[in-house]
Amino acid sequence: MTTLSAATVPTNAECRSILPDGRVLTITASRRPRANRAHVKCTIAGAPAIAEKMQEVVRLARHTEVRLDSRDQVVLSMDIAPGAADRDWELAAVLADRMVRGLFQPKHKGHQYAQGWSDAWQLGRVHGTVGDGAAGTQHITHLGALSGHADPSAGVSTVRAWFPLHSGGINDSLAWVEVSVFAIESAPDGQAVTSEEDTIAAPGLDLSAQQEVRQTLAGARHFDAKGLGRWRSVVRFSQPRFQGGSYQLALVMADRLARGREFVPRGRIIATGCSSAWHAGRVDTVEGRQPKLELILMQATAGDRILLPKAWEPELPPGFAAELRQRGASVACIERIGMI
Amino acid sequence: MGIFSRRRKPAVDIDGLGVSLVALRLDAGDCAPVGSTVVVFNAGGHARRAPAGKVACEQGETVLCFHPGPYTVHLAPFASAPEWGLRLRFVVDAANPRVTQQRFDLYLYSEMVERLELETLRVAAQAALQMELAQGALDLPPCTTMDEWHAFRAGLNQLMYTRFGVTVDDCVPVDLGDQVDYAEVLKARAAIEAEVAAPAEASASPPRVEGAATTSEPGAGPTPTSSAQAPRTAATAGLAVQEGTAASSEPAALAALTAEQAPRTTTAAMPTAQQDAFALRRLFIELPSLASELRTLVLPDGLQIFQQHQALLLRLGMAALNVNTMPALAWAAPDQPLAPEEQASRTVQTQLAVQALDEAWALLARFQRADHAQWPALLEDADRICANLETGLAFRRAPYAPRAEPSL
Repeated sequence: MTTLSAATVPTNAECRSILPDGRVLTITASRRPRANRAHVKCTIAGAPAIAEKMQEVVRLARHTEVRLDSRDQVVLSMDIAPGAADRDWELAAVLADRMVRGLFQPKHKGHQYAQGWSDAWQLGRVHGTVGDGAAGTQHITHLGALSGHADPSAGVSTVRAWFPLHSGGINDSLAWVEVSVFAIESAPDGQAVTSEEDTIAAPGLDLSAQQEVRQTLAGARHFDAKGLGRWRSVVRFSQPRFQGGSYQLALVMADRLARGREFVPRGRIIATGCSSAWHAGRVDTVEGRQPKLELILMQATAGDRILLPKAWEPELPPGFAAELRQRGASVACIERIGMI
Repeated sequence: MGIFSRRRKPAVDIDGLGVSLVALRLDAGDCAPVGSTVVVFNAGGHARRAPAGKVACEQGETVLCFHPGPYTVHLAPFASAPEWGLRLRFVVDAANPRVTQQRFDLYLYSEMVERLELETLRVAAQAALQMELAQGALDLPPCTTMDEWHAFRAGLNQLMYTRFGVTVDDCVPVDLGDQVDYAEVLKARAAIEAEVAAPAEASASPPRVEGAATTSEPGAGPTPTSSAQAPRTAATAGLAVQEGTAASSEPAALAALTAEQAPRTTTAAMPTAQQDAFALRRLFIELPSLASELRTLVLPDGLQIFQQHQALLLRLGMAALNVNTMPALAWAAPDQPLAPEEQASRTVQTQLAVQALDEAWALLARFQRADHAQWPALLEDADRICANLETGLAFRRAPYAPRAEPSL
C-alpha cells in the first residue's frame, strides 16, 4: 500500500515568502490532535484580519484534496505580519499546510520558498512560483502543476514530465519537459494544416533539436490512433541546452497525458529512454544508466512513476525497486509505450 | 384477495431490464419477467430471493426484481484522462449460501430509488474507482506492467463485490476516443474561461486589496466550473461549513461546489430534507452490516491488532447508535423551525458521514485482500475514516447556535 505512514509525516513545517519590501516572511505550520477544535487555526501577532484571511485561503485550497482527515488540527503562524494589501504569501500558507500533512514534499534540500496568490483557491488555480529561493524556481498556475498534472478547468492542457540529466556527477539533476496542447480551431480536413510537425512548436531550442522534438511527437502520435490532426502543441524544456535523446520518452509520456490518453500517475512521471521507431511505440535503451539510476533513487518521492527502458531491467541494482516502493514510488521497465 | 383490483393496475414498465435497467421496484400483482430474480424485503429489512413470476407478498413487504446481466459499462478511471478507460463486464451472481445477507440485496435496499438504471450504477462505480485510485489504494499507473495490472484487477474485483455486490466478469483497457473528444472538452472550457475573464477584467485588476474579506471573490461567484474539475468530493465540500467562523466569501464558493458536483450522486435532484433522510437511512442500514463484515475478518496474530480491531468495531457501533438517535433536521428547538440554510449545512455534514461510509466499504475490500503485513497501515486508514464519520455525525447533531458577532 502506498499511503504514507505516520512516521514519515513531519509535525512541523516551514515555508517562506519574500515580501515586496524584501523582508522574508516565514509561515510555520504545526500539527496536533484536533480534539474537537477547528481544522485550521491561524495566529499572527497583531494582525487578526490577515489571520482570518489565511484561514480562509487554506480551507478553500483544501477543497482540491481527495483525502479528508479530520483527526488533526493544523496551526499556522507567521513571524512578521505582511501589509494588508500584500497577497503573495498565500501560496506559502497553502504549501505549509500541505507539507505538515505530508501531501507535498519539497523537491530539494534547504528552505522552501513560495510566492503566489489566487482568487479561486477552491479550484486550485494560482499565479506563483515555488522553489528554494535562489535558482530552480518553478512557475505554476495550478496546484497540481507541482507534480506536473494538468489543470482540470483550463482550456489548455499542460503536463510536465521529468527526465534525469547527466552532466558529470555533482551537476546531475532532474530536468523537465512540458507539453501544452490545445484544440485546433479549424476542421482538420482543410488545407490549413499541412502536417503534424507544423503544429508543434518548441521555442528556445536550436533548429536540430526542434526538428527532433517534432519528429518524436509526430511519430508517437502516429502510433496513437487518434493523435493526429487535432492538436496544436507547444513544448518547453527546463533548460534548452543539452545533448542526447534520452528526454524523448518523457516528452512522449507528457504528450499522451496532456491529450488525455494515458493513465495518470499520482505524483510526477520520471522517464528516460529514446527510440528510433516511435511510430511503432518502441522504447530503446539510452546511456548513463548508473548515474541516472542513482539520481532517480535520490529524487523520487511518494506517488512518482518511473519508466525505464526494458534493457535496463536485468541490470538494476539489487533493492532498487523495493527501495522505491517503500517510498511510495513505482518503477516499470518497458519496451513499448501504452498499455501492458 | 385483490383479484379485481389487479386488472385495473397499469403494467409496470420493464423496458430495458437486463440492458439499461438493472433493477426496479414491483408491487403485489406485477409480473417479474423471465430471467430476472425477485427479492422480497420484509418489514424488518430481511431479504429473501424468489424465482421470477407473479409477485406475491404480504402486508409491509417491499418487492424488487433485478436482472443478473451481464452488463457492460465503460469507466474512466481518471477524470483528467477521459479518452482512456476500462470496459467492465459484470454480472449479479447467484446468491451466496454462506452469508445471511447478499451484498447486492443490501445495495438495492439501501441505495436504490424506485429504479436502478445501469447509468446510475456506472457513475457510482466510476466514482468509487476514481476515489480509490486518487487515494492510492489501487494503482493503475501509466505503462502498466502485467503484475501491476493483475494486482489492480484483483483489487477492482474485490472493490466491486464488496461495495456493490456485483461480480466483475471481464475488464479490459479500452480507448474511449469514440465516445469522448477531449479536444472538444478543452474548447468548451476555453469558451467558459473567455466568458468569465471578460467581466473580471472590467471590474478590477487581479491583485487587489481585500481588507476583512467583505467583497465576494470574482472566481467564486460566476462558476467557471461546469466541466471536469479538480478531484473534489462531497466530503471536502463539508469542511467549509463545519467551522463556525466562515468568512463571507466561503459560502458562495461552497454553493458553487455543491451545485457542480451534484450530478454525480443519485440524490442530486432531491430537496435537502430528502437527501438528509436518504443519507441517514443508508447509514442506519449499512453500518451494522459493515461492522459485522469487519468482525468476520481473520485477524493476524498479536494483541495490539486485536485491540485496534475491537476499538474499530466499538466505534462503528457507537456511530450506528449515533445515527439511530439523530435529532430531526428541521427543528432548532421544540417549536422553533430551523432556517433552510442551516438545514442545508446540516445535510452537508450527513453527506460527509456517507462519504466516510463509502470509503469504509472500499477499505473493507482492501482488508479482505490484505496480507498480515498490511494490517497496521489499513487500521490507520480505518482510524481516519472512523474519525471522519464521527466528525460528520457530531456536526450534524450539534445543537443550533445562532451566530454571534465577536465581542471584545
